[in-house]
Amino acid sequence: MAGRYKPKINHNSEFELDLAPLLAVMVKLVPVLLVSSAFVQMMIIETELPQVVQQAIEKQETNPKAAQVAVEINKKDGVRIIVTQDGQQRVEIVGLNANQQVDMPTLHAKFQEVKKSHPEVFKIEMNPDADVPYKEIVRVMDEARKSRSADVRFPVKNEKTGQDTSTEYMFPEIVFANMMDG
Amino acid sequence: MRKRTRYKPEVKRNQTFTLNVTSMTDMFTILLVFLLQTYSSSVVEIDPVQGLRLPTSNTEKNPVDGIKISISPTELKFDKRTIASVQNNTIDQAAIDPNDSEFIKPLFDELQKINEAHKLTPDIKIGKVLFQADQDVPYGTLRKIMYTASMAGFPNLKLITVVGN
Repeated sequence: MAGRYKPKINHNSEFELDLAPLLAVMVKLVPVLLVSSAFVQMMIIETELPQVVQQAIEKQETNPKAAQVAVEINKKDGVRIIVTQDGQQRVEIVGLNANQQVDMPTLHAKFQEVKKSHPEVFKIEMNPDADVPYKEIVRVMDEARKSRSADVRFPVKNEKTGQDTSTEYMFPEIVFANMMDG
Repeated sequence: MRKRTRYKPEVKRNQTFTLNVTSMTDMFTILLVFLLQTYSSSVVEIDPVQGLRLPTSNTEKNPVDGIKISISPTELKFDKRTIASVQNNTIDQAAIDPNDSEFIKPLFDELQKINEAHKLTPDIKIGKVLFQADQDVPYGTLRKIMYTASMAGFPNLKLITVVGN
């Protein structure tokens, strides 16, 4: 009886993978991506707010009794946070540090304090002095926008469902109040 | 005496060789992954203005479409056109209205042109300004631009920043 045909397989044989087509694709792709890539990522300051926060902002605007929070930035004295409610004013001052810059961690803590005592407020009025550089204004806006700590959240009511929820947003709405002052 | 002959190395004319492209493929793969990661998916294209250093911010919002205004230490630009010169972070006095120290006349004129152009197509969203300003420009100068833009019906200002902490 004839034996079954067994093809001869050399298990020690080596083969070379043809990388030329792969390389050809990459050589075309890399220049395309190099040309179209943006290496400096630019963003805009305008937070995409959750619907609950957006509703709370709208509610604040229709409520004349809601507290008003104003922020004054002064190159010499630092930042003054002025909270006005029912004709009463409370002023929090954050001075400059040893580098003659606003002490940002202290400022953030102050914003958190103000937000805790007035969770219904989402809008602040910014009043920087004319000589304050743009980067300082942006830094103050950064500190006011959102809580840096994930553990610190603020209560907000969902107007549609009536349920209480929480948000990390503090003062996402910023208005330059002294723009028309001249 | 035996004549000296010049040495001739033996060269095989029909010899072929295979180029090892493995390391080159490795390099391209790494480069490709890096470029794919940094590839921007933003629809709006923002050209950085020469000599302008944007402030850093932790905002996470992608740019939206709008009218582009920029102020660098040397010039105030509307889109890509220079409309006023800037010296010591102050807009040239020639561009300022003599009756209103906050009013930048050439900027207002340009914005009015946009308003006129969109009168025929009122459904088109206007009123948004994508604003690039150098980080050292004082608020007093920025206020002039904000004031003029809001007077021209562009109160919605989007401040462009660089991602950072």
